[in-house]
This record gives sequence, structure tokens and C-alpha cells, in this order.
Amino acid sequence: MTLIDKDPTAAIADIQKRFEGAGYICDRHIATSIYLSRKLDKPILVEGPPGVGKTELAKATAELMGADLVRLQCYEGLDESKALYEWKYGKQLLYTQILKEKLGDLLEDAQGIDASMEKLHTFGDQFFSHNFLEARPLLQALMSDNQTVLLIDEIDKSDHEFEAYLLEILSDYQITVPEIGTIKAIHKPVVFLTSNNSREMGDALKRRCLHLYIPFPDADRERQIIQARIPEIDENLRNQLVAFVQQLRTQDLKKLPAVSETIDWARTLMLLHAESLDTDMVRNTLNMLLKFEDDIDNMDSEIPKLVTAAKKEAR
Amino acid sequence: MSRPLADFVDMLRHADVPVSIGEAIDAARTIELLGYEDRGLLKSALGQVMAKTTDEMESFDHCFDEFFKIETKLDMGGDLTEQLGEDEESDGNGMEAPSLLDNLDDGSPSSSPSGSEGGGGGGSGQSAAEDGEGGPATSLTEMLEAGDRTGLQMRMGEAADEVGLSNIVLSTQRGLFTRRIMEAMGLDGVNQDIRDRRANEADDSADELERRLNVLFEATRDMVDRQLAMTAQGKSTEFRQNVLKKVRLSNIEHRDFRLMREMTRKMAKRLTDMNSRVKKVKNRGHLDIRKTMRRNVAYDGILFETHWKQKEKDRPKVMAVCDVSGSVASVARFLLLFLYSMNEVLPNVRSFAFSGDLGEITDLLKENGPEEAVPAAIDKYGGRSTDYGRAMQDFKDLVFNEIDNRTTIIILGDGRSNGSDPRVDILKDIKTRAKRVIWLNPERKSIWGSGDSEMLRIAPYCTVAETCNSLNKLELVIRDLLKTS
Repeated sequence: MTLIDKDPTAAIADIQKRFEGAGYICDRHIATSIYLSRKLDKPILVEGPPGVGKTELAKATAELMGADLVRLQCYEGLDESKALYEWKYGKQLLYTQILKEKLGDLLEDAQGIDASMEKLHTFGDQFFSHNFLEARPLLQALMSDNQTVLLIDEIDKSDHEFEAYLLEILSDYQITVPEIGTIKAIHKPVVFLTSNNSREMGDALKRRCLHLYIPFPDADRERQIIQARIPEIDENLRNQLVAFVQQLRTQDLKKLPAVSETIDWARTLMLLHAESLDTDMVRNTLNMLLKFEDDIDNMDSEIPKLVTAAKKEAR
Repeated sequence: MSRPLADFVDMLRHADVPVSIGEAIDAARTIELLGYEDRGLLKSALGQVMAKTTDEMESFDHCFDEFFKIETKLDMGGDLTEQLGEDEESDGNGMEAPSLLDNLDDGSPSSSPSGSEGGGGGGSGQSAAEDGEGGPATSLTEMLEAGDRTGLQMRMGEAADEVGLSNIVLSTQRGLFTRRIMEAMGLDGVNQDIRDRRANEADDSADELERRLNVLFEATRDMVDRQLAMTAQGKSTEFRQNVLKKVRLSNIEHRDFRLMREMTRKMAKRLTDMNSRVKKVKNRGHLDIRKTMRRNVAYDGILFETHWKQKEKDRPKVMAVCDVSGSVASVARFLLLFLYSMNEVLPNVRSFAFSGDLGEITDLLKENGPEEAVPAAIDKYGGRSTDYGRAMQDFKDLVFNEIDNRTTIIILGDGRSNGSDPRVDILKDIKTRAKRVIWLNPERKSIWGSGDSEMLRIAPYCTVAETCNSLNKLELVIRDLLKTS
């Protein structure tokens, strides 16, 4: 049974504060999610537009807990031999070659095939043991002696079948290897799955996870993030650029600029020694924020208006 | 699991958030962890446990606010009873409690102290009720007279269960359910009492009883209203959706367009999910030598593991032609909507619309949302009188060379060509070339061929010619299409 905190609100606030200390600014929603996942032993399925810090969340959690981060990047065609485990075929072959003569010696006194076989059986399944098991990320996370954070990145890019492999590990924190048996986690890893929603995840998978949706941050939060990431930035410029990006997100764009883009842009502006936004500079650096030519063209005429508005807002 | 949570889960399920049993258990554990004190925290936590998509999140937020609005009242009820120093059970029945208590309190603050007077009048009433009904141990009149809140409340809850209040769907049923609950509680007996008292010229006590009865009426109505707000909203949408699925497309009103769109979208999504799963099929009996060799390198070249040749299953190539002329005006909207959804389901659909001339609308559908695209397509190609011959000719000129043996052609139209030649010869050519020609006609089969309908001439040149006049039918047709391709 789960341990019940006397004051969950304080525990959650504490998580939030510690994240902040680690340079990851999160709201209470995210902190709640981490808290719940620890208490309920549930993986978290993190969704949201690209660049809002889904992967970052897993990294920050790992850092916070002093745990190892095991990352599995999903892609189409990812299968169990790359995600779960594989046998070290080469090593097996090599060993059989080396042991050939040894085997001859051992079997020398055995008469006939039956006796040899009998003798062979007594050696056990040496070749299908842990020694020949190549652990892939999922198995690594389970077998690690330390606490781990398992990040299954962009799960939506993987195939449907792969989701099924995950079910066992997500609900019971164990993997069954037919030749060996069931391997249980030494320390239950904290599991994050991230998805950009390029396809809908199966119900079975969703049911096993907490669902956390991270939207674009509001202006305050974004200012905090920039502050945490680039502490040396001028306050005035920071407020202006955040206001500008916030406005940009209300426009009709193919791809809205995410937090990571705001950070990149802020770094760019720092490099250019900008003290405040001006139209030309924004125009020249807009490709840091917008990643489609169409978007850049469409926004070109809007820039002066947006810059003025952003300056007004920031004041 | 506590009763409020069960109710909440029930409400969510009706509001399109499918909460599984496992998730409900998680929710119970979450509540155990966090308690009810911090509503904001509880909302965000429960949201993560129970709602698994952004759509569901929206419904969840709505439901949560709605549900715990009532819960807040319950807290007030608790305080109130404490003030009154009365022993009151909380939870389930407590839900119905507060307003009833309020009302009784507002209405008859002196009910307990002035018991002697009421009791005097009650004597005759009691006997009358017992004579009249002979049923319940304590009659409703008695309870009203005594101001027995707990008893009334419980009776109300029982009555609500008895008449199946949870089945309420439409707001128009409110009166009916209120009445039924009252009757189940013993309304007739009370009315009888009131009449008796009037006959005995005990007007004062009759008035008092009537007033209290009205208070009870109010309370019951409140309860019904709450129930309606809680589950019925979701249910009535469900109900309407079910109706819409079956109703003929031509009979669907304009105001349901949004709901229809939502449903077509869901249907399309369901079909995509089904379709995206199986793409490769093992071709048994054909060994893929190269792949087998490569796989068995690990075994020193000894062929342990075999690899069979696979057949990639092609996604169907679809060309859809939609009639948007006057004769099908009422259905054209939905046919186009359907085309729009098809674009989402299948990666290579090309759409065409015609009444007189025929033109491609693939890009139009791709670039605009359905709200703009559908009227735009009707605007551009609709309005003229239908000429199937011309449309066929245009279609042939436009894409005949691109039709191959993997192409499925779907034609949505009523086959009414205003007397002009429908050019079945072109259709015949197309059929020999294409994999399949499917004709979906919104008209019933019995009127095919009547008037200017050329359907009977057309049908032989189609692989399938079917009536398709409701969403359910559309879905079936498309499912078959995906399955057999």
C-alpha cells in the first residue's frame, strides 16, 4: 500500500522547488505528476507540442533523484532485439570454437551418443545465461543496481507491436526472456514516455500510464525559464522577447515557436549584444524562432507591429 | 471505492471519457493520497489519472467542475446540520440533503417547537393515511408533519431509485420524474389528507401540510435537476449521436452539422487506427532466401531461423467523386464531409465534385477546415443541373490515365441525370481499368430507376452499387473497403 503523506501539498511544492533548483521550471501540474508517479508506481506519458521540455523533464528528474538516465529513442522498425535484449551470438560462437577441444576432453570417457548427450545435459544451459545476454535499454534499466530513470522518447514514432512489448515492463516492471525466465526490476525505475501525438497510442498503454500534457508556458513561466537558463540576460530584453514570442504563438503559423526556440533566440540575441528588440534585428534572427519559410514570409510584415506591442507589454 | 467517486466515474463515462476499472482504482488511491481539501490539486491529479487525451481532458475539466460544484453544497449541508445539532449521515444520501434542509428550514423554522399544534392536526391525518394506503409504516404526511428530514431524505432517495432517476435523459422529462418520485413517496396519501382536512374544516392544518408538501416538491425538483446536470448532459449527447448515426442524411438538420462533423471525424479516426495496424502479411510457403541467410549469420550460416517472403499490403488508392447538384443538395453537405474525413483516413484520396462540370477538390479539402471547404466546394461546383454524361467525360479526361488496377473509385450520387445520357460506356471503361467501382446512392433501392434516375442502367457497370444514407452505412462501406483492399 502506498504511504500517505501528511501533507501532500507541501510535498508537491517541495518537488517543484527542487526542480527549480535543478534549473527546470515547472508548474504545479507537472510536480503533481511526478509525485503521483512515485506514489502510485506509474509511468508518465508526457504529451505536448515539440520543444516544451518533455525530454528535459526526464533529465531533470534523473538529476534530482541522483539516478541514472537510460534513454531509448524510438523509431519506426524498432524491435525487441534493439529495445529489450539480444543474445551475444558472436560470443557464443567464439566460445563454442574455443571450447571445442575442451568438450572433446570432457566427453572422452563417455561411450556412445547417449552417454555423451547425458553428460552434455549436466553442463546446463551455459550458452543461454546472463553472461551471453546483451541488455538493451529497457533491460538495462531493470537490471541496474542504481535507481534509474527510463526515458522512452517519442514513443509515437514506434510501431504498434512495440507498444505491446512495453506493456509488461510498464505495469509490472519486469521482462520475460523465454530462455531464462522473468527478470524483475531491482529498483523500480521511474519511467517517462514522451509523445508528439503523431499517432494515437493504444488504450492498453494509455491505461497503464499517467497522462501529462505540457502546453506552451504562459509569459510568467517563460520568463522564469529564460531566467533560469540564461541568467546573464538583461531583464528588459528578457521581458520583451518573451512578450514577442507569446504574441507570435497567437498567430496563425505552421509551427509555433516552443520554449527551446525561445531559449535559442535569447542566446542569439545575447551574442549579438542586443539590449532591446528592434525590428531589423528581429527580422534577421527570426529564423531561430520560425522553422518554415512560409511562416517567416507571412510574419515579415507583422514584425514592426509585434515588436512595438511586445515593448509595450514588457514595460 | 466511495460512492461519490463511483458517481463521478459514471458521469465521466457518459461524457466520453472511458475510465477503465484500473483507472478508477488509481483514482481512488489518488484521492486517498491527496484528500479532498485542495480542489485544484485534486483536479490536476485526477485529470492525469483518468483522462488520457487532450479531448478527454476537456470533458474531464468540465465534469469535474460540474460534479464538485454539487459537492461544495454538500459541505454546506454538513455545516448546517451541525449547527442544528442534528445527527446526519453524509455521503450518498447527503447529496440530496442540503437543499431540502435549506428549504424546510427556510419554510418552517418553527416546525419543531410548534409540534403540539401540528401534532394535533396530524392525528386525524395519520389515521386517514393509514386507512387510505395501509402501506408504509410511517406515512408521508406524518413525516412532513414531524419535519423528519432524515426520513424524508431517505424516502426521497429510495423513491428516486425506484423510478430510475438515473435514466433521465432530456430536460423535458423533469416534470415527469419529479411527479413520479413524489408519487412513489406517497403523494396521493398526502393529497387525500389535505382534502380530508378541508372537508373537516381544519383549514389551518391543511394549509400547513400543503405548504410543507410544496417545500418537498421543490426539493425533489432540485434533486432531479441535479441528476440531470450530472449524467444526463453526456447521455443526451450520446442519445443524439446514436439517433444521428441512424437517421437519413437528408433528414439531418443544419444545427447538427457540428455534431455530425465530430462524429465523422471520430469514425475516420477509428478506421485509420484499424487500418494502420496490418500492413504486412506473411506469404507462407515462399522462403526469402536472402533474408534467411542474413539472419542466420549468427548461427555460423546454419539455417535455423527461416524468414518468409512478405507481401506489403497496399493502402487503397481511392478516387472519390461527389455529386453536389440540387437534387442531392440535402445530402451533399454530408457526402462532402465524408470525403473530407476520407482524406484524413487514407493517405492518397483524390476527391472530385460535380454537378455540370467536374473538378478536383483534393487541395481544397486538404487546405481548409471542413467548415470552409464544404460550402466552398458546393459553391464552386454545385447549383447547376446534373449531367452525369458530362461529368463522366470530364472525369475520364482528367484522370483516366492514372487509374490502375489498385484504384478504387467511389461515386457518391443519386444517378439522376436530368434526361441526359449518363455515358455508361465511360463507366464501363473505367471499371475494366480500375480495381473497383463503388456507387453509393442516398436513395432507397426501390426508387432507383424511377423518373430521371439512371441508376438501373448504371448499376451493372459498378462492382458495388449500394444505398448509403446514414453514417452507419457509410462506416460499413468504408470498413469493407479497407478490409478487402
